[in-house]
Order: sequence, then C-alpha cells, then structure tokens
Amino acid sequence: MSTKRLFCIAFFVLCFVINTVYTQHSYQWGALPSLNANYSLKNDWSLNGRLESRILFLTGRSDGLKNRDVNYQLTDFALLGAKKVGLKSRVAGGFLVRVEGNEIIFRLIQQYILVRKMSGIRFAHRIMTDQTFSESEKPDFRLRYRLSTEFALNGESVDPGEFYIKFNNEYLNSIQDLTYDLEIRLVPLLGYSLNDRYKIEAGLDYRVNSFIRGNTRHSYWMNFNFFIDI
Amino acid sequence: MRISNVVSILFIFFSTYVSPLFAQEKFEKESRIRQKEIPAKALQFVEALPLTKKVKWYKEEGLTSTSIEAKFRHEKKRYSIEFDTLGNVQDIELNIPLSGVPSGVLDSFSLYLQNNCSKYKINKIQIQYTGEESNLLSLIKNVDANQKLNIYYEIVVVCTFNKKTDLFEYLINEKGKVLSTSKIIFKNSTHLEY
Repeated sequence: MSTKRLFCIAFFVLCFVINTVYTQHSYQWGALPSLNANYSLKNDWSLNGRLESRILFLTGRSDGLKNRDVNYQLTDFALLGAKKVGLKSRVAGGFLVRVEGNEIIFRLIQQYILVRKMSGIRFAHRIMTDQTFSESEKPDFRLRYRLSTEFALNGESVDPGEFYIKFNNEYLNSIQDLTYDLEIRLVPLLGYSLNDRYKIEAGLDYRVNSFIRGNTRHSYWMNFNFFIDI
Repeated sequence: MRISNVVSILFIFFSTYVSPLFAQEKFEKESRIRQKEIPAKALQFVEALPLTKKVKWYKEEGLTSTSIEAKFRHEKKRYSIEFDTLGNVQDIELNIPLSGVPSGVLDSFSLYLQNNCSKYKINKIQIQYTGEESNLLSLIKNVDANQKLNIYYEIVVVCTFNKKTDLFEYLINEKGKVLSTSKIIFKNSTHLEY
C-alpha cells in the first residue's frame, strides 16, 4: 500500500475517532434477521425477493441515557427483477416496501453488480441508487457503493459443506430535504454453504451515520441471513 | 473445382466449426487436504523437486473423476501438478502469457474462435505437459525434457455466441487442434449480489 493511501486512511480514522470522542453520539443494538430468495427465469432473467425485520434491544446516548426495552421496529419486503448483462455482471431494478408501525414506506431501487474472482477470493461491486417516499418525511435519494468480499476457508472456492468469511463495506450518500449525509457500513459475516442453493450467514452489521453533522449515530445489528436459490 | 476438393474444404470448415452449444459443462469441487491424505507416491514426486516455496495440496472432484493437485510457485512461475488418487502423476500445468503460445498454434486456434464466437477474449492460458514421470520431473528441475513430453494448451476464453456470453475452457494440441471444449459453470453468487 502506498504511503499516500496509508496517510489518507489514517487521517480519515483519526477524524472519525476525534468526532466520536468529542461530540455527542448515540448508539443502538439490535438484530436484523433476513430471508433472501432468488428465482432464475429464462434468458438470463431472475427475480429476487427479500424479507428483513429489525428488532431493537438497546438504545443509548453518550451522556449516559439508556433504554433497554426490546421492541420490534419494522419489516422490509423487497422485490427485484434482474438481468445478466455480461459474463459476471447483472442489472436489477425493483421496489421495497417497509412496514414501520402504522406507516408504509416505499422505495424504488436500481442496481448494477459486477462479480470478480481471484484465487480463493470473490469480489462483488454493487452500485445502487434508491429513492424513498413516505408520508411523514421528505423524499430521500441515495447513491450507494458496496464492496462484498468472500474468502473461501477451504480450497480455492466455497463448495457445499464449507464455511466462508464474507465482508461487506458500503458507503451510502443520501440527500434529504437538501441535507447531505454519509453512512458507512462494515459487515463481517461467517457463512456456511449447505449446498449450492442454500447458504446461511451470521455476523455483525455496524453502521455509522450523521458524523458529518456532529451527532454521530452508531448502530450494531446482529445479522442472520438465509439465502435460497429456487 | 473438383467435387472431392469441395468436399475436403467443407469437411475442414465443419470440423473446425463446433458450436459452443455442444460443449461439456465443467464443474469442479476443490478442497484443501492434509499431509496424511496425500498419496505417498505423489508426495514422493513433489519432495524430489528443488522447491523453496510452500506447496498447497488439493483434492479436485469433477463430475466424473477425482484427482489430487499440488500447487506451488517456482522460479516466478505458477505450477500445478495433477496426480490420480493413487499418486501417479498425470500432468504438469504452468500459467503462460499469450506470447508463450507458438504463433502457428495461436493462428489455428484463433481461426477456430472466429468460426465459433461472434466475439471472444482469451482470459488465461496454461501449458500442459504429459509423459514419463522422469521427464516430468526433469521439466521442473530445469533439465531440457520438453522434446520428450506431450504438450497441450488449456485456454480459457470468454466467447459470445448467439448473443450469449459464456466462459469456455479449450484443450488444444501442439498443432492448434481443439481436442475438447468445456463450458465453465460459475458458482452461485446471490449472497454476494443482494
């Protein structure tokens, strides 16, 4: 790694630490169980459905205020239609419906995915845009980039009956009511391939946002994912 | 032109025109194996080599066969030695650049690809040596044993055919003749994409 790049990373981490220590921040702990089903169609088309819920265990602030009430927050249902456009690339588009209390939130999604393979490692680049509409808030427009890395723990690739490590790193730029925010997600997961159609994963989904405005929010979600290919 | 000439030309054309649709599918499960699982004969072969880098051992299970593979770097080259389950050496493969393929071989293979793909790109080339065990051993020991070995090329190509793009592995001989074609099946990546 070049010295310049190392310096940039160190500077970013330092800014982040200073921001965390000297400004008020809030945090939340919870769980994000999800079920993802993929259905292959003719001519390189596919459908992907995802069901994900959010359960909150703990919220708190840096001034010591804590709330340990366990409460169910929301459920997302997403449906995407995808088309393979290259040897290892796919475009997808669809929608997400979020049920949060009595409110229904609607989100449009467009994404492009490129998967690359090296010896023992697979990478997936995902560029995504989404637009969220709800009755209580102004529309939210986001531009996201995610790098997913999969490390085979046995051999050159993940085979049925083998464990793997997956690491997601995502940057979400959002504009809502002319206010910009950046959210960063780091998601280390341990996965297991039951066979080529079923995979389970568990790990931690760490998210940090609002640090640009000085009221940083850290979210720690325990992730439990189940993937099915039909 | 005589009828026999026309028939010959048509035969040559159709023998090089084999649609990728007829390719076999290639799917391999490769898993690391421990020292005690390596056949003694295979271990003996590798231990006779003047290697300085670590050797990684794998069991490779295909749709119809199982083999043992030793992978290592030696003198800046990436080698792969394939053994059968009893430890008998089958072949040695070595990654090479496009410039490492003789022009005659490359010309014949390029003609084949032009006939079978509307668009193509060569992704990876491996030279494959088969022959007597002692000659294969000499090859890695840098003794000139090439002339006593059979040489094949395993070439991975991105080929677009009928508006469909796939990855194929071709095995060609020293004359550039395609001996077999396998379509490479990708592993599921839904969990990486969504």
